[in-house]
Amino acid sequence: MTTTLDPSRRSRRSRASWLRSPLARQIKAPVVCIGLTLALWQLLCLPNPDGFPGPIQVIQQTWTPYISQPFYDDGGTAKGLVLQILISLQRVAIGYSLAAVVGVAVGLVIGLNDFLRRGFDPLIQVLRTVPPLAWLPISLLLMQQADPAAIFVIFITAIWPIIINTAVGIREVPQDYINVARVLRLGKISYLRDILMPATAPYVFTGLRISVGLAWLAIVAAEMLKADGGIGFFIWDAYNAGGDTSTSQIILAIFYVGIVGLILDRLVGMVGDRVSGRRR
Amino acid sequence: MATLLTVDNVTQSFALPNGSNYIAIKDIDLEIKDGEFVSLIGHSGCGKSTLLNLMAGLAQASQGGILMNGRQITDPGPDRMVVFQNYSLLPWQSVRQNIALAVDAVMADASREERSAVVEANIKLVGLSSAADKRPAELSGGMKQRVAIARALAIRPKLLLLDEPFGALDALTRGNLQQQLMQICQEAGVTTVMVTHDVDEALLLSDRVVMLTNGPEAGIGQILKVPLARPRQRLEVMEHPDYYALRGELIGFLQQQRRLRQRRGEAKAPRLAGAGTGARPSKGPPVSAAPTTIRLGYLPGLDIAPLALALDRGFFREQNLNVVPIVFSRWQQLEEKLKAGELDGAITSATTPLALTLGLHGKPGWPAITPMTVTRNGNALCMARRFLDAGVRNGRELAALLQAQPAPLRLGIGQMGSMQELLLRHWLASSGLDPDRQVSWITLSPLAMQSALLNGELDGFIAGRYRVAQAVEAGLAYGLATDLDIWSGHPEKVLTCHEGWAESHQDHLLAFCAALMRAGQLCDDGGQREALVGLLSQPQWLGLASAVALQRQFDLGNGEPAGDRLPLNRYHSDRAHSANPAEGCWILSQFSRWGWSPFPSNRVELLSRVYRSDLCAAALERAGFPALPTDRKPFALADGLRFDQDDPLAYLKSLPFAGQPVVASLLLPDSASADRSLPSP
Repeated sequence: MTTTLDPSRRSRRSRASWLRSPLARQIKAPVVCIGLTLALWQLLCLPNPDGFPGPIQVIQQTWTPYISQPFYDDGGTAKGLVLQILISLQRVAIGYSLAAVVGVAVGLVIGLNDFLRRGFDPLIQVLRTVPPLAWLPISLLLMQQADPAAIFVIFITAIWPIIINTAVGIREVPQDYINVARVLRLGKISYLRDILMPATAPYVFTGLRISVGLAWLAIVAAEMLKADGGIGFFIWDAYNAGGDTSTSQIILAIFYVGIVGLILDRLVGMVGDRVSGRRR
Repeated sequence: MATLLTVDNVTQSFALPNGSNYIAIKDIDLEIKDGEFVSLIGHSGCGKSTLLNLMAGLAQASQGGILMNGRQITDPGPDRMVVFQNYSLLPWQSVRQNIALAVDAVMADASREERSAVVEANIKLVGLSSAADKRPAELSGGMKQRVAIARALAIRPKLLLLDEPFGALDALTRGNLQQQLMQICQEAGVTTVMVTHDVDEALLLSDRVVMLTNGPEAGIGQILKVPLARPRQRLEVMEHPDYYALRGELIGFLQQQRRLRQRRGEAKAPRLAGAGTGARPSKGPPVSAAPTTIRLGYLPGLDIAPLALALDRGFFREQNLNVVPIVFSRWQQLEEKLKAGELDGAITSATTPLALTLGLHGKPGWPAITPMTVTRNGNALCMARRFLDAGVRNGRELAALLQAQPAPLRLGIGQMGSMQELLLRHWLASSGLDPDRQVSWITLSPLAMQSALLNGELDGFIAGRYRVAQAVEAGLAYGLATDLDIWSGHPEKVLTCHEGWAESHQDHLLAFCAALMRAGQLCDDGGQREALVGLLSQPQWLGLASAVALQRQFDLGNGEPAGDRLPLNRYHSDRAHSANPAEGCWILSQFSRWGWSPFPSNRVELLSRVYRSDLCAAALERAGFPALPTDRKPFALADGLRFDQDDPLAYLKSLPFAGQPVVASLLLPDSASADRSLPSP
C-alpha cells in the first residue's frame, strides 16, 4: 500500500495505514464511543459541581487511597478495593465450586435417567428463575451466619444452569458416537471417558459460563445486605457513610465489579474453549 | 462356501406419531456367504440402511430375524463392524486414538505392544501414517473415510457393513478408495455388505447386487450376480463384454422402480383430490347401505369351487358385496367382455393377466392385474385309447410313436396361451416333442373336448382332471399325465381385473378376495368334501354328471391300479393364494420360449404391476390368515431344471426347443389410456 509512486500522498497514506492496522481497527470504535459517553457524562455534571460527580471528579476524589493503594489494610473492614474484591472472590470460589461439582453430578444423573429428567424438570425450571436475593432469608435461616449464607446464595443461584446444560449435553450426544460405542461394546468407564464426557463438555462449559455471571451477580447483592467485608459491603458502607466522596467511591466500586465480572466470564469461556476446542 | 449371515423373513416397521405404522421393509430373505461382497441398491427410502442397521444389530426387526453363523443377532458387536455414512469418527481424538479406541475395546486381552502394532499396521494399510496424529477436522473427506475403514478393519470383523461409504466424496477420491477397499477386503477375506446408490460402484465391488423395491414395504426385487473375475481393475471391468449388460440390468431395474413410484403417486393423487373437492357423490363411509355389485366372469370347472362356496355361504354378503357370477363357455368371450368393461373381474387362467397386459397374439395391451391365485393344480392330459393300445404310457413313448408315424398330434386346449397350454408344451418338449412342429393345436371350449375326442377330431386334450375322469369313464380315453408330472403346485386359475378398476375399487376388491380366500380354506377341508360336491352338482357350476365323477375312484384308465378318490385342486394350503411374481416370471419365460413375445427386459416393472402381492397380503390380513412371506428361492418343475427369477435367461437357454431368447423392453399399457373407460364409483 505504501509503495505508491506519488510522493505527495505518501504521508496521508502512511497515517491512514496505521489507522487501518488490525489493532487500531479493533480499538477505534470502543475508544470513540466510550470517550463520547464519558464526555457526555462530564458535560451533564458540569452545571452542578457539588451534585453527582463527573468522571474526572470520580478519579480525583478516589485517587487516594482507593486507586493508588489497592492493597491497604487499616484493620477491620477498612481495606483496599482489591482486597475487598478478593474477599468476594473467595466466597464466589467456594460457592461456585460447590455448584459446579454438585451441578455436573446432578445433571449427569438427570441426563442419563429419563424418569428423573422428566420428574425434576418442572422443579428446576421454577427454581432457576428465582432471583438471588430471594434466597437470602432462607439461606440466613439455614446457615445462621453471614458468610456461609452468602456462599449458599451463590451456590443455589449458580447451580441451575449447570444442571440444565449438563443434562441437555448428555441427551444431545450424537447418535453416531453412541452407535460406535455400541458396536465396539465399549466398557462403562471407556464410554464415560472417551465419548460421554468429551461430547458433553461444550454444554457443561456453557452452563458454567452462565453460572459464573450469576454467582458474581449474587455475591454483590448478598454482601450489600449482610456481610463483613467484600466489594458489595464496600458499596453499601460507602453509601451509609454519606460523605462528600461517597458517590465517587460507589461509582469506582461499580466499575471494579463490572471489570471483575467480565474477567470471570472470559476466564471460564477461555477454559471452556480450550476443552471443547479439542472438538475442532 | 458356508453361509455367514441369514436374513430370515425380516420385516421392520416404525411407529408413526399418528399411531399408525410405517413398514419400511417387508419379508426380506437373504443369505450371505462367507467372504462374499454384497451390495444393496435401490432408490432413497427403500430401506437399505434399515436393513444394514438390522444386520449390525443396532435395531431389532419387528418380525423375522437375522442369524450370523446360526446365532441370532440381538445386539451390536464388533464382529459386525459398521462404517457409518458420516464416518462417525470421534472429533476429540486423533486418527491414532480413534483406531486405538476400537482396538483397545475389542482386543482387551492383547498386550499393549500388540494392540499398538495393530493400530499402526492399519493406519499404514490405508496410507495415513503421516496424518496419524491429526484430528478428524484436519482431514479431508476421503481421509476420514479411510480412517473409518481402518478402524473397522483393525478389529478384524467377520462382517463389514458399509453405509454409502463413498457418497460424499469427489469422483477421483471415490475411485481410488473403491480400489483400495476392494483390495483390502479381498486380502482380509472379510465378508462385506455395502449400501450404495451408485450402479458402477456396486458392479465394481460386488459378487452380488441385491436390488430393493420402493418403500414402504420394500422387498428384494431382483438379485444380480456379478460374474466378473477377481482381482478386478476398474478399467478392465468397464471394458468387460458383460459389463454393459449387467449395468443395463441394474439401471433398468432402478428406472422401472422410478416409474412404478411415479405411477403409485399418480394413482393416489386423483383419489385424494376427488375426496377433497367433493367430486364423489357420497362423502359418507365406504360401507353404504346399498351393496356394491361385482360382476364376475368364469367358466365352469372345479376351479370355481371357492366362488360357489363363498356365494352359497354368504361370504360376499357379509362384506356387503353383491357378486353376480356370469358363466361363459369359451375363454375368448370372457376375455372380450372383461376388456369391454362388462365384467369387473374374472377367474381366468394364470397366464391371462400377463397375456392381456402384453397384448399377446397381436391384441392391444390391456392393463390387467391379479391380486390372488384362486387355485393350483387340477389338470390332466388324456389321449384317445388307441395310443394306449399302441403302448404309449409316457412322454418318451409318445415321442417314439410319433417318430415312427410322423403325423402331427392334434391336441385340444381350452384357450390359446393358457396355463394348460404352457404346461402341456413344457411337458411335450421335455419328452422330446417339438410342440410347434409336431403338434397341431386346436382351441375349443372345455365343454366340447369330450365329444371332439369321440368324433376323432382330437388325439387328446388337456383339461381339468374331473373332465379327464369323465372321458376315461366313457371309455374314450386314458390319462397320460397329470400336472403333478409337470409342475406340482403350479398356479392354475387367478383372479384378473383391470388395473384401474382395482385402484378405484380397492376396498371392494380386498373384501372380495378375502371372502374367496376364506371359501378356499373350506374347499381344502376334507370334511367339507361331500357338501362341496353337492353344491357343485348344481347346474350353474359343474352339473350332476361332472360332480359325480368327483365322488368315484379316480382312474386314469391306463390299467394301473386306481388310486384314491379324485384329488381336488389346491385352494388354500401351502401358500396357494399367493400372487407370486416368480411364477409370473416363469410364464414370461415360456411366452418367450414359444416366440409369442420377446422376453421383457423391464420384467420387474411388468411383474410388480401385474402381480399385486401387496393386495394379496392385505386381503389375507382381512381374511384373518397369516401373511405369506415372499419366497425368492429358485424352484424346479418336474423336469428338475431350476428356475431362478433373478436369472430367467439362463433357465430359458437351458430348455429344449427354446432357441436364442430375444430380449426387448416391452411397452406397457397405461391404465388411463386403456380402451376401457373407468366405471364411475
